[in-house]
Amino acid sequence: MKKLVALMLALVLCMSMAAISASAEEPIKITIFVDGTIPDQNNGRDQFEARWEELHPGFDLEIIQPDHSSYYDVMQQRMSNKDDWPDVLILSSTYYVDYASAGALWDMTDAWENSRTKNSGRFTGDKVFEGLKLDGRLYGFAPTRGNGCVTYVKKAWMDACGITEAPTTYDAYIEMLKAFKEQYNTAPVAAAGFVGGEAPFINYLPEFYQDAYPYFVQLEDGTWVDGFTQDSMKEALQRIQDAVKDGLIDKETLTYSTKDCRDKFYDDSFGVFTYWAGTWATNLKTNLEANGKDGELVVLKPLEGLPLYFDRVPPVWCITSTCKEPEKVFDAFIDDMLDGGDTQMLFTYGPEEVYWSTKAGTVLDEEYEEGQFHMLENLEKPGALYTKYHIDPMLSLASFADGYYDPKEESVRPEAKAASALFNENSRMAGLVPGTDELSELNGDLTILKSEIIADIALGNISVEEGYARFEDEGGLESSEAIVESLNAL
Amino acid sequence: MASVVSNGALRHEKKPLGMRMRKYWGFYLMFIPVLAFVAVFHYAPMFGIRYAFYSWKVVGDPKWVGLANFEKLFKQSQFSVAFANTIVFSVVKLLLNTGLAVVISLLLNEMISLKFKKVSQTVIYLPHFMSWVVTASVFSLILSPSESGLVNQALIKLGLIDEPVYYLADKGWWRVWYYIINVWRETGWQTIIFMAMLTSIDPGIYEAASIDGAGRWKKMWYVTFPALGNTIITVLILNLAKIMNLFESVFVLQNDSVKRATNVLQTYVYYQTFNSGASADYGYTTAIGLFRSLVGLALMLICNYASKKVRGRGIV
Repeated sequence: MKKLVALMLALVLCMSMAAISASAEEPIKITIFVDGTIPDQNNGRDQFEARWEELHPGFDLEIIQPDHSSYYDVMQQRMSNKDDWPDVLILSSTYYVDYASAGALWDMTDAWENSRTKNSGRFTGDKVFEGLKLDGRLYGFAPTRGNGCVTYVKKAWMDACGITEAPTTYDAYIEMLKAFKEQYNTAPVAAAGFVGGEAPFINYLPEFYQDAYPYFVQLEDGTWVDGFTQDSMKEALQRIQDAVKDGLIDKETLTYSTKDCRDKFYDDSFGVFTYWAGTWATNLKTNLEANGKDGELVVLKPLEGLPLYFDRVPPVWCITSTCKEPEKVFDAFIDDMLDGGDTQMLFTYGPEEVYWSTKAGTVLDEEYEEGQFHMLENLEKPGALYTKYHIDPMLSLASFADGYYDPKEESVRPEAKAASALFNENSRMAGLVPGTDELSELNGDLTILKSEIIADIALGNISVEEGYARFEDEGGLESSEAIVESLNAL
Repeated sequence: MASVVSNGALRHEKKPLGMRMRKYWGFYLMFIPVLAFVAVFHYAPMFGIRYAFYSWKVVGDPKWVGLANFEKLFKQSQFSVAFANTIVFSVVKLLLNTGLAVVISLLLNEMISLKFKKVSQTVIYLPHFMSWVVTASVFSLILSPSESGLVNQALIKLGLIDEPVYYLADKGWWRVWYYIINVWRETGWQTIIFMAMLTSIDPGIYEAASIDGAGRWKKMWYVTFPALGNTIITVLILNLAKIMNLFESVFVLQNDSVKRATNVLQTYVYYQTFNSGASADYGYTTAIGLFRSLVGLALMLICNYASKKVRGRGIV
């Protein structure tokens, strides 16, 4: 009997030890909700997940990824039930502000201040992070800048008009457009709309808008104003109206989509195009060449005395307020994203042997030696190379650690690098506007009214004065003032 | 089961439901997936209607506001415009499409060459299969005020206009082209139902009319057209019940210059949701949706009543 009891006790002890050991080894599960900026399962997501878990023992990463185009619909459905909230999710600026204001996001200010990334000496995004703060508190992490648009001018058009220097003033810019108009008998500038539908709104016609901004902005003294009601906006609209009237801006800008603009730019229908910096510099060049045109483009610096290009507020990684161990999640998932080493490499260039390789071989007719870094052929788009994984190397807010090999030189084309560098040196970030009930209630109609007035002024249907009289008559001014008041009351 | 009653007529006696279910269990089993689908995707979402009485921005708890969303809705001038546009666009579109579908059907019916008739039918059906996005792109090119704009260049060559017109940026012209584009895309498809009706007309009636001395015109007017009468009314009634569902055709043709003047209820909800610069108040947009559904329900009941009067049976 004693033997039996001893045996049972030993058995119970063994089982308890096993249970304790099992619970000690239970990995911390991190549920992340991501859009298409993390490539999907057809593009190496499983290998990414496996490599991340290999680099972070003790963590189990679960990736939930709806279709990119319906990401925010699905995300909102999920966020409507608190029990379903993921630990981490990617948010655009609008949702970031609203969710932070509603207490749905974990305050990562202190974690960020003490983070390895911030204190690494490699981090260059202090201004970006300052712009992400709401009431001085940080609720999201951006591994990259938001990127923005720069103005590309066709070198061949400049040569044809005998223009040897890129314009540096507005007057010189207009003279260049007039020369293009005379030479090619076409409006030299086109854009997808006279005003954009989302922040920073004016990024497709920066030379004409200059310091005007049609949305709510915070002045240096902290007060909020509606940029649409400022004199700078009235002057900008007059410039746009004049340019359309003189045939310098294509009036079909009203109905063009970005694809229309790109196609027309490629077939030489116009010569000056404000579009995304970075990779798009290469895309524009190669597409022009594919159409038998000269692909050389001159990237304009912001005109003298005028504000810098707008940097879009980047999408941010946030930790939800229901996450059970936010400090650990921040440390492993967020802070490590820009660790300057293997994890940053994974987020930037993707999993090895799926996105890139250093083995000898031939990729798309190009031969590589053993040890030479090279990107691999896109699994979904045969004939094209992968260029990045999640973090665009040209927009990354932290360099790799000293001694860690950064393959940027091999993976980024020179024109893309040059456009990106010019943009990074000459851009400012669009500010965040906090959500208020008045903004939510009135801004939908107000934005449509503003867009209509801008379009009608641009097309010359009404004068600037008539446009602003309509703004007042149709309740725009009243709504605008109510929103400004609500913002100033925060 | 049928039994003879005292006056000699046959009367069907229904078996109890349980007995019928046991007898036809196979059919009921096959019906379960459909029932589940309808319950999950059509009835369960109806519980969302309650948000029309709340202020709710997805995160955070919904706040009860009673009828405040409806009060706000009726105060918004843009809502009234959108509601009026929904009715006007739909009704004009319906009358134009149906009227022209009848005319085209009658013309097709008169074609002697069967081959040419079939080719014509195929050509006029085809636009229906083009997506609205592609349709909008094609018409943006055709209506362009530039030198590549087919319509403007043709009108200038004909001497009808001196300067190109930017049709899609002009509030008045936009409506005209909206109807024309809809007619181009949908009328051909609608002729199918009328063509089917025309083929069912007894050829003997035409022969009798010929013997009575009727020519082609008189046969069309006195035989063909009256035969279509019931079908025309049926098509009108059936489509009238759906007129609140207007979104894609308007949305893809809109631009900043005409957006406010051409909004319909569904585009209005869209802009309220995605254009507010902040998380939309889903309570308010649900209230608009509920209002739209109620109007749609009322129209459907009216149409059902009208259908009973005209056809002897309802549509639901």
